[in-house]
Parts: sequence; C-alpha cells; structure tokens
Amino acid sequence: MSEPSRAGIDARTLRTGSFSSIFNTVGVYGIAVLFIALGALLQLTGAIGNFLSPMNMLNIVDATALVGIVAVGMAFVTYSGNFADMSVPTTMAFTGYICIELLRYGFLVAIVGAVAVGLVIGVVNGFVVGKFKANPIIWTLAVNYVTMGVIRLVWVNKQIYPDMVGSQQHAVSLFDAIYRLRFFNLIGLPLVILLVMVILGQVVLTRTSFGAKLKLTGSSPRAAKLSGIAVERTIILSFVLAAFAATVGGLAITSLSRVGAWYNGAGYDFKAVTAVVIGGMTLAGGRGTILGVLGGSLIIGIMNNIMTLLGIGTFSQDMIRGAIFIIVVGFNALSLRRLGRDDA
Amino acid sequence: MRRSGRNSLLALGDKYRIYIIFALVFVVMSLFAPKFFNVFNFTTILNAIAMNATVAVGFSVVMICGQLDLSIGTVITFAGVITMGLEPTLGFPGAIAVAVLGGAIVGLVNGLLVAKAKISSFIVTLGTMTILQGSIYQFSGGNSISVATDQAFSISDFLGKNLLPLVTPRILIMLVLVVVVELVLRRTRAGRNFYIVGGNKATAWLAGVNTDRYLIAAFILSGVTAAIGGVVSVLVSTAATLKLGENSLMYVISATIIGGTAMSGGKGGVLQSVIAIMALEMLYTGIILFGLGNEVKIFFAGLILAYVVLYEAYAVYRHEKTLGQRPELMKELADRLSAAKVKKSAGH
Repeated sequence: MSEPSRAGIDARTLRTGSFSSIFNTVGVYGIAVLFIALGALLQLTGAIGNFLSPMNMLNIVDATALVGIVAVGMAFVTYSGNFADMSVPTTMAFTGYICIELLRYGFLVAIVGAVAVGLVIGVVNGFVVGKFKANPIIWTLAVNYVTMGVIRLVWVNKQIYPDMVGSQQHAVSLFDAIYRLRFFNLIGLPLVILLVMVILGQVVLTRTSFGAKLKLTGSSPRAAKLSGIAVERTIILSFVLAAFAATVGGLAITSLSRVGAWYNGAGYDFKAVTAVVIGGMTLAGGRGTILGVLGGSLIIGIMNNIMTLLGIGTFSQDMIRGAIFIIVVGFNALSLRRLGRDDA
Repeated sequence: MRRSGRNSLLALGDKYRIYIIFALVFVVMSLFAPKFFNVFNFTTILNAIAMNATVAVGFSVVMICGQLDLSIGTVITFAGVITMGLEPTLGFPGAIAVAVLGGAIVGLVNGLLVAKAKISSFIVTLGTMTILQGSIYQFSGGNSISVATDQAFSISDFLGKNLLPLVTPRILIMLVLVVVVELVLRRTRAGRNFYIVGGNKATAWLAGVNTDRYLIAAFILSGVTAAIGGVVSVLVSTAATLKLGENSLMYVISATIIGGTAMSGGKGGVLQSVIAIMALEMLYTGIILFGLGNEVKIFFAGLILAYVVLYEAYAVYRHEKTLGQRPELMKELADRLSAAKVKKSAGH
C-alpha cells in the first residue's frame, strides 16, 4: 500500500534508532510529570483537594496497575501489527467467573483453571488472526461476543460471589488477597505484578529472538515470512501474551470487586489501547517499547484521577479519553507519514 | 464443456448465496418452528429488522469502500436519545433534524479522519464510539428518555399501521432507502465508483476517482442511516433506552458479511445485506419460538459472527494458497500417472 520507498526515506527511517526510542520513552514520562504538575497546580488554585496526598498517590498507582497489566499484554498484539485484542473485557470477566467457580477445589486449581481458559482464548485468537489473516479487530470483537454469550448462557445473568463457596475459606481469603496484599503496607501485589511484567516484557521485546521476530512481523509480515520467520506462531504467541495479561487483570479486578460479573473488565479494551498508543507504540506495528506503555498507563491513571477529583463524571471521562486517543493516533499517523511509512 | 457448466453453476450459487440461505432458513423455520408461518409473525419480523436494515444500508456502503464503521451502534442510541431529549424544546421535526444532522456530523468526522488523516477506520470509529458512548450518558444522565404526548403516540401508531399487508410506514422508510441506495450503487457512475474505491485505491486514483470524497460520502451515509434507524425506532416505541443500539453492531456486521460484502471491500450490495438481516432475524425468531431464551440468542449471534468472519478469512486464505496453481493440469498429470501405472501393471 505504501509507495515504493526511496533511498532518502529509508535512510531517515534507519536513523530513528535508539535515540528516538529513548526520547519517545522519556517523553511519555515527561508528559506524566506534566500531568502531575497540572494536578499540583489545580490543588494550589484550590480547584481540587488533596491531589498530592500520599493516599491519592497510592490510588493513582493502584489504578495504573490494573490498566497497565492489561496494556502490557495488549502491547504485544499492537506490536505484532494486529492493532488490538478486543476480546479483553470478556476474557477478564470470564476468567473471573471461572476462578470463583473453581475456588471450591482450592486456590491453586482456581488460578490454574482461569489461566488455562484465558490461554485457550488467546490461542484461538492468535490462530485465526495469524493463520487465516482474519481482521483482528472484527475477529476479537466476535470472540468477545461469543464469550459474553457463554457467560450469559452458563450463569444466566447471575453474578457469583466467592463467599458462596463455603467450605474453602482459606482459598477465598487467598483470592481476596490478590488485590489487597500489600508489601510493607504500601506496595500492592498488582503493582508488583505489573513491574515484573514490564521488565519481562521489555526484555522479551528487545533481547530475545521472539522480540526480533515480532518486530519484523509487525513491521512487514511479508518480509518476515520471506525471511523464514514463523509468522503465524509469532502472532499466536503475541495474542496468548495479551490473553494471559487480560486473565491476570481479570483476576485482580474480580478480587477487587469480590464478585464474578459479566461487566468486570468493561472498557478495559479501550483503556489499554489508549495506554499503548499514548505510550508511543504505533498501531502500524513494530514500533514502541513496553516501558513506554507503562508510561502510557501512568498517564491514563493520573488523568482519570484528576478528572475524578475535578468532579468530571465517568462518561465525560470516556469522551475525553476518546478524543485524546484519536488525537494521539492522528499525530502518530502524521509523523509516520513524514518518515515515509503509512500508519496502518 | 461439462466442467465449465458446473463452474458457472457454482458461480451462480455463490452469487445468489444469500438468497439461497434466505430461502433455506425460511423453509426450515416454516416447517419446524412452531407458530412461525403466519402473517402476524412475518409482520413482527419485518418490524424487528426495520432498524438494523436501515443501519445496514450505510454500513454496507462503507464496507464496499473497504472500511469499517464501528460507531453505528452508538450513533443509533445517540440519535434516539437526542430525538427524545430535544423534543420538548424543539418539537419532533426539529429534534429529528438535529439527530440526523448529528449522525451526519459523526460520519463526516469519521470520514475526514479516515480519508485525510489516513488513520485506519476501525481505530477512528473505535474512538468516536467511545466519545459518543460518553456523550449519550452525559446527555441522558444514564436514564432512558420517553415522550408521552398525544402527538408522540399518534406518530407511533402511524408508523406501525399497515398501509398494505405487511408494509407499515416504518418498513416503507427502510425499503425506500434500500432501493434508492441500491439503484445508485448499481446504475450510476458515482455508485460504481464506490466499488472501485474499495476494490483498489491505486486503480481508483489512476482512474481519476476522488477517493477521499467517496470515502467521506460513505461514512456520512453510514452516520445518517444509523441515525435514521435510531430515530424511527424511538418514534415507534416513544422511548429511547440506552440499550437501543447495543447489539446492532454485531448484527449488522454479520449480516453484511453473510450478504456477500467482502471485508476487503469492492464487492457486495445493500439489498443483499438486508436479505441477510431478514434471514438472521428469522433464525433468531425461530430460536425464541423453539422456547430457548434470549441468552441462547445472544450466544448464537456471537457464534454466527465468529463463524462468518472465520469463513471469509478462510476463503481468502484458500484463494491465496491456490493462487497461480493450475488444478486441472495437476489433475491431468495425476490421470496420466495412474494411466501409466495401469499400463505398467497390465504389462506385467
């Protein structure tokens, strides 16, 4: 679809190497700092109270952790050039249900069961998108609907509570701890999980052969295929990682709300994509870093917090997030086109 | 000779696939589903599809252009909520005008972002979908809005009254839109240009077709038809619920693909999509008539969409895999080899 590349353009593309990626990553955190400054300024002018209080900072970090976990997984799908995994919301809800249902057989069984179900969804998504090149958005949207149908069919619109399990009190308290466990009474388990995932993700993306394959697959599937990369397997793995992250996020959010419900995870698809895009990962694939995505999640977290403190309702926040999403994607497309690459 | 005959039959079957599916579903449901084959049920089905069929008109044109519009579901709800919410201040004509204009503006924004900013359409419409979702709740305060005036009830009665057997004004609006757009697509140069834009952008550019203009036009049409679908639907029910367009996206995408409009663009039509919507609705009505619940229906709807997407992707995959292969030559070779083998074994 893109024009035949010219030598000058190629050289420029090559030059955007490590420096620009470092700048992009730092840039994201710069924006995050700006947002914190904005919050502080708003507090000074008295528009919002206690933005800078330790309690509120903790709130921001906790909110960031939930979005971030999902976004880090989603980033692999975006990086592979397949835009986004829209089946994330129901994957989160479904694995939450599974986990609570299985709690009666013990905590470990429940976790393993939920993760297994999540991985199956990921494999299916990856197989269909990777092998048959189905439109990733439409396919994952379809899977989202099917999973929602399964939830409605099996649990008939009922919500389920971990306390109903009865005899396995130990398992239930362990399940509650997923979200509530805090190291040194400060650092929550989700945050620890997020940081581990970010470090692992960054290492996988930059230091492993899978990361290199993924980069080429995302940049140009044809070139990747012609150079002997198992493109299908690479894409399957990226969707599996996204589904795994969604499962972890789903368990955390189910533990937080203490209820298995179909609406757990609603909106997380869009939040995660926005975090990924703000984090400097382009939808054209093959560009961006996991550290940037962490920054993007942080920005989403701070932004939500400020908007909530300002008294902006959830729904207006949706509008603002949607607008920011489009603007960022637009700018990305524009700057990529300057470099001689079409975005998506 | 024989082979080409079979091929053309297959091609014919492929071309009229949706009509065959429609006939099959109709016959099966008539034979097996209890209380399916009667005028009352047909009227119910036609009324039930009126909204989604209207929406499918614009959506199909967008898909013929090779793009997707994920915002249709929220445009439906948005238009409905606007119509009912502004009626007390503007009256019905004004409120409806604002709602439809709103749909057009959403389409224009989508189209501009896709054509001029060159962002892929599902990303753009994912964004506008989220923005609209927020504005719907913002505008309505999270509640459904109803208008209980005599005028509202008389409009509702009028839209549901039989002009001819099976044809109510509500259905007539949908039919007129379908026929007009289908004729434009088939019979005018502008219509055919939509197919060129979707088929191959480079060719369209070389042929002097203003690609951007057609893309924007398609998105505006999609916004307008989605808004009309929402407006007519709330006028009939005299209330706008926030769940109005909730399942439409899934419904309309599946129907459009089943109808033969390719996701890659350049193929398809509006009438086919509407026939597919009718087939789907008959199927769902059948599910309900068989005594299965709404949950089963939703499950099936998702499953059908997944199947349809998979089917089309697989067809493209097969096509690409066999591209350039000459099956008849391979067959001839196999025939000769086996003939040689027979000769050899006979020789022994």
